[in-house]
Amino acid sequence: MATELGTKLEFMGEIVRVEPVMGDSVLTTFVAPDWAVRAAEPGQFVQILSRDPQSTDPLLRRPYSVYRTDISAGTMTVLVRPYGRGSAWLCEQPLGAVLDVMGPLGSPFAVRPRTERLLMVAGGVGAAPLLMLSEVAVRAGKQVTYLMGAQDAGTLLPASELPEEVEYVVATIDGSMGHTGFVTDLVPAYLGWADQVFSCGPEPMFRSLRDVVHRHRLGDRPDVQMAVERPMACGIGACLGCVVETRRGMRTACVDGPAFDMDELIWG
Amino acid sequence: MGMTSTVPDVSVDLAPSNPRELVLRNPVIPASGCFGYGQEFAGAIDVQRLGAFVSKGITPEFRSGNPMLRIAETPSGMLNAIGLQNPGISRFIRKYPPMWATWEVPAIVNISAESVEDYEMMARRLDDVSGVAAIEVNISCPNINAGGFCFGWDARMSADVTRAVRRATTLPVIVKLSPGAVDVVEIAQAVEDAGADAVSLINTLVGMAIDVRKRAPVLANVTGGLSGPAVRPVALRMVWQVAGAVSIPVIGMGGISCVEDAIQFFMAGASAIQVGTAAFAQPKVLMELVDGIPAWLAANGYARLSDIVGVANPRYGTEPD
Repeated sequence: MATELGTKLEFMGEIVRVEPVMGDSVLTTFVAPDWAVRAAEPGQFVQILSRDPQSTDPLLRRPYSVYRTDISAGTMTVLVRPYGRGSAWLCEQPLGAVLDVMGPLGSPFAVRPRTERLLMVAGGVGAAPLLMLSEVAVRAGKQVTYLMGAQDAGTLLPASELPEEVEYVVATIDGSMGHTGFVTDLVPAYLGWADQVFSCGPEPMFRSLRDVVHRHRLGDRPDVQMAVERPMACGIGACLGCVVETRRGMRTACVDGPAFDMDELIWG
Repeated sequence: MGMTSTVPDVSVDLAPSNPRELVLRNPVIPASGCFGYGQEFAGAIDVQRLGAFVSKGITPEFRSGNPMLRIAETPSGMLNAIGLQNPGISRFIRKYPPMWATWEVPAIVNISAESVEDYEMMARRLDDVSGVAAIEVNISCPNINAGGFCFGWDARMSADVTRAVRRATTLPVIVKLSPGAVDVVEIAQAVEDAGADAVSLINTLVGMAIDVRKRAPVLANVTGGLSGPAVRPVALRMVWQVAGAVSIPVIGMGGISCVEDAIQFFMAGASAIQVGTAAFAQPKVLMELVDGIPAWLAANGYARLSDIVGVANPRYGTEPD
């Protein structure tokens, strides 16, 4: 069950499902209050305390994009790769463990009402917010092509995770599945088709995507939204630790983002 | 006497010798830089239940802050080098105090500058601004007229800043002490003599971290301020020393994360506490302190918070030498 903590953003949620996925990662599903499940939109994230409540280490919460919500079950799912101490702790949490969660937080992807064709470009755990966006878009009757890149077939998002209406095209560095090379190699063929592009992944992938889009698109369409990842402390815009340099100055990844228009970002 | 079944009195006046006083309903104050401008936490907690809060540090002009990365987690702590990102005093005054004037909770404005004249100018600008209850002076800044040497590491420079701010405003003035000073007690006494209504300590300790994969410092600024439970024993020691050596109220901070931590600071001689890093991880800690401090006092038979202030500090309340 989910327990409210007398604060408006924090809740305790019991883990009800842990599934291995994408090699060493896990999909962790936990119970969440109805308001949180209903409020969550694609591109938003939750901050999960990733330590024993009696401990002070690791100190800060870890941000995870919302991967999926289930309103009837009252659950939320996040995709966790054991990258550091916090994520390793979270990956090890068993069924029945209770998580201290804040969220949903941040500004979601903005799908324009007239957009009919969405192109997703995912790398690694960046697959998470794009999975939720795909599910929401398909439910709204829109067309989705989901491009994903990974090191090898074993670290790709399984096709079974995506709605069957989604066209799923993959690239692997070792050539074990799909195109041999980077996911961004696949992008030019879809730029004429897509009304909007949505992306999440590591920084080198963003840079490559930006280069590909600048080379191949006509004018400023399609526009590209990128959900950036930054180390965060508060997650609510107070500490200014997670800023992103934009044409409108330093903006926070946690409140103004994580989703930003690619053309707004300043690339150092 | 003292026998009461009512809720313990946790109110505190942090500027007892100032006619404008700074009376707080309770001693729990989110620290500067850790609470934005108050509104950021409004979605998470009931901000109005706090004793007061301290705004993000304001400077004479707009500052865009440091480049990324600005934060790094360390064992039971974190480093930050935000670089005082803020809109500057003029835009700040237009934007935030009008909102605070409608709030119940007192707002304390933290100011930073690189010259005595700029500190004085900001204090003068804030003096009659509705919605501003007090000024906290961050003296952990480089003095550009002293080769960038930190104001807060030098007793004379700390006193100069305090005196200038005191001249410019009748608002309660809290001077926030730097733990980088060789002798924090000397600084505390100097700012008390220069007219500070209270002191707060400690500011963060300067530290750094290196990313061994990149063979480079984690923070773009190289060094950053260390905060969190990791610094608590150092902070407690300094609060204990200062509280035993000054007559003005001491506001203790440094890694406070739970009621028992807070009680330690009160027993060392702090009249109130500030909370920073803990609220990043768990905003609810602030509410747990607001509720938990009176509960602890009641459970231990105290009628007032002041009954435990300094009880573990034999020099607290004695006349300074």
